[in-house]
Amino acid sequence: MATTRLHRNEQINGWAFVMPALVLLGIFMIYPILWSLWMSFQVGRGNNFSFGGLANIQRLANDALLVHALSNTIIFFIIQVPIMIVLALLFAVALNDATLRFRGVFRTLLFLPCVTSLIAYSSLFKSMFSNDGIINQTLVSLHLIGAPIPWLTDPFWAKMVIITAITWRWTGYNMIFYLAALQNIDKSIYEAARIDGVPAWARFWNLTVPMLKPVILFTTILSTIGTLQLFDEVNNITQGGPGNGTMTLSLYIYNLTFRMMPSFGYSALVSWVIVAIVAVLSIVQFVIARDRRRAS
Amino acid sequence: MNRIASRRSLMLGVALASVSFLSVAAASAGELTVWCWDPNFNIAAMTDATARYTASHPDTTFAVNNVTQDEINQKLQTQLLAGVSDGLPDIVLIQDDNIQRFLQSFPGAFVPLSDSVDMTKFAAYKVAAATYEGKSYSLPFDSGVTGLFYRSDYLEAAGYKPADVQDITWDRLIEIGKDVLAKTGHQLIDMDYNDDGQIIMMMQSTGQWYLKPGNEPNIIDNAALKESLEVFQKMAQGGLIKPVSDWTGYTGGFTSGEVAMVPQGVWITGTIKSATDQSGKWRVAPLPKLNDVEGATHYSNNGGSSWYVLSSSKNQEEAVDFLKTIWAEDVDFYQGILVNQGAVGSLLAAREGAAYKASDPFFNDEPVWQNFSDWLAQVPAVDYGTFTPEARLAVRAQLPNIANGGSIDDALKAIDAQLRQQMQ
Repeated sequence: MATTRLHRNEQINGWAFVMPALVLLGIFMIYPILWSLWMSFQVGRGNNFSFGGLANIQRLANDALLVHALSNTIIFFIIQVPIMIVLALLFAVALNDATLRFRGVFRTLLFLPCVTSLIAYSSLFKSMFSNDGIINQTLVSLHLIGAPIPWLTDPFWAKMVIITAITWRWTGYNMIFYLAALQNIDKSIYEAARIDGVPAWARFWNLTVPMLKPVILFTTILSTIGTLQLFDEVNNITQGGPGNGTMTLSLYIYNLTFRMMPSFGYSALVSWVIVAIVAVLSIVQFVIARDRRRAS
Repeated sequence: MNRIASRRSLMLGVALASVSFLSVAAASAGELTVWCWDPNFNIAAMTDATARYTASHPDTTFAVNNVTQDEINQKLQTQLLAGVSDGLPDIVLIQDDNIQRFLQSFPGAFVPLSDSVDMTKFAAYKVAAATYEGKSYSLPFDSGVTGLFYRSDYLEAAGYKPADVQDITWDRLIEIGKDVLAKTGHQLIDMDYNDDGQIIMMMQSTGQWYLKPGNEPNIIDNAALKESLEVFQKMAQGGLIKPVSDWTGYTGGFTSGEVAMVPQGVWITGTIKSATDQSGKWRVAPLPKLNDVEGATHYSNNGGSSWYVLSSSKNQEEAVDFLKTIWAEDVDFYQGILVNQGAVGSLLAAREGAAYKASDPFFNDEPVWQNFSDWLAQVPAVDYGTFTPEARLAVRAQLPNIANGGSIDDALKAIDAQLRQQMQ
């Protein structure tokens, strides 16, 4: 009897301690998420909305602009994420070399973009890549190109600018993860490999990369989610233009809510599309990584 | 943020005042907050208006805040949806083609000014833009009546006289533009392909709009839109357009003396005149007209905005009285903002004032204001409807493609499809 009462007391105490956190989590996270799910079935303008059944899903199925935004987003992460991950990995390995002088300086320089505000660096890129901007001026005066490249007024080049911008901003961030992971790799493994005469390239490919695999997976998922939510850069540098060439899902949701006749139900549904894609992509990446581990 | 902070300190002050047995009512007597966006234009005009009002109503004070158009739209939309009025202003400036969605999405959010102000005193097309279910909600402000601003010195260098650009068609302008480009190296105009203002000006000059009354898309069979896009394509393909990527780039294109012409709403005058070293080199002609479209005129409109009082305002009566006293009656005030800010107001009586008769040395002593107000009276009225922002985004999406020589019929189909999709 006494133990059960003590046990029950512990139970009550335990719940009492986590209750404030649970209540806050419920009010500020779970409730809004459920509410947005409910919202995604509402149709109507602004505050005049009503239950629309599957009307929003029907609209989703016929939305060419959504498909366009989705394909832009996919282009962004298929091209940008691998470039960034490889760059970050190379930088990390290079900067991990104990014989390199001024390592601290280089690390700081590469990480510095991450501390700049998204808005500030977007504005800078916008002015640098404008028609008369410093990039075009430099390229023209070096006679690398004859006429200025229409960086921000052509859909293809605008995509390139966005990819360049997010790569510049986030490579250092991913590099830090790899640097941290590299510190944990036992140096004796490399010594043994060197004694066995394994060349540097093979050491990188067969030792470093496999050992960093969990971190690479982690950064890949993180970058993929980040790219799917890409908003600040496109909103500030190109506003989704020219010709919807850099329209992303997040910017599309913003437009649906704030630039056009507000249809909150439909924007909520599009947000759930992103959630679904992120979930699927994350599962896929996990599965791929697990299979490889089993195979090896 | 500043505003919220000041509201908090005001509340704190009120609380302290009531503790010390002072009258709370006296402590909170009307500070009217106003949101608008252009320091050289509407902010300056509003500040002038508030100064005139406080001269006769010393109890009323004003805080005129610089809030961008995008921010105004976003803040209003978020707060009206949430039903929270904390931090919203008393008076707000909203672009004409954007107001209908607010009126329809948030019924009761704005004070119907037609209850207290005689709307027949204003240009009819401005009033119509903010009328919903029989009531008008705006105090109409600036007009976006268009003109063709041009560098007469560049034109002269290429062998043209001012008479050569009076009352011409766009096709003729393209010929002249090519000649000017060949002889002087200056491109005709600059344009942001993320802005369809150029298309709007050409199309509205025929009385057509992206939408038909009743909010049907007016794209596929819209001859005016089609020819406007064709003119745009011809200009782009002929190398007459300098593409820019934002507003700063756009204004820089002509304040730096790079492009030869600026077809634009009258509100651009202030920016053009800001390049004081170009005084006497500019002139203004009526907008060229489209060639083969029925109802084509030389008169159009681009932009323009109006003042609104929010129903959530605690000083609603004061706010309405202020707009009525200054903005709906004070003809003198309109002369001032015309001369200082280049603001062509919508109050019809204001055009009889002296400033409108004056000529401007910056524009070769042309009576530009008189011209603009004459043109204003002939702007074909259009019904912006509810879905203009959607239509504009759909058109902008096709501009780069058209500029690169893409098929215009395909573009029209794509615009129509995107617009229909977004109108649900």
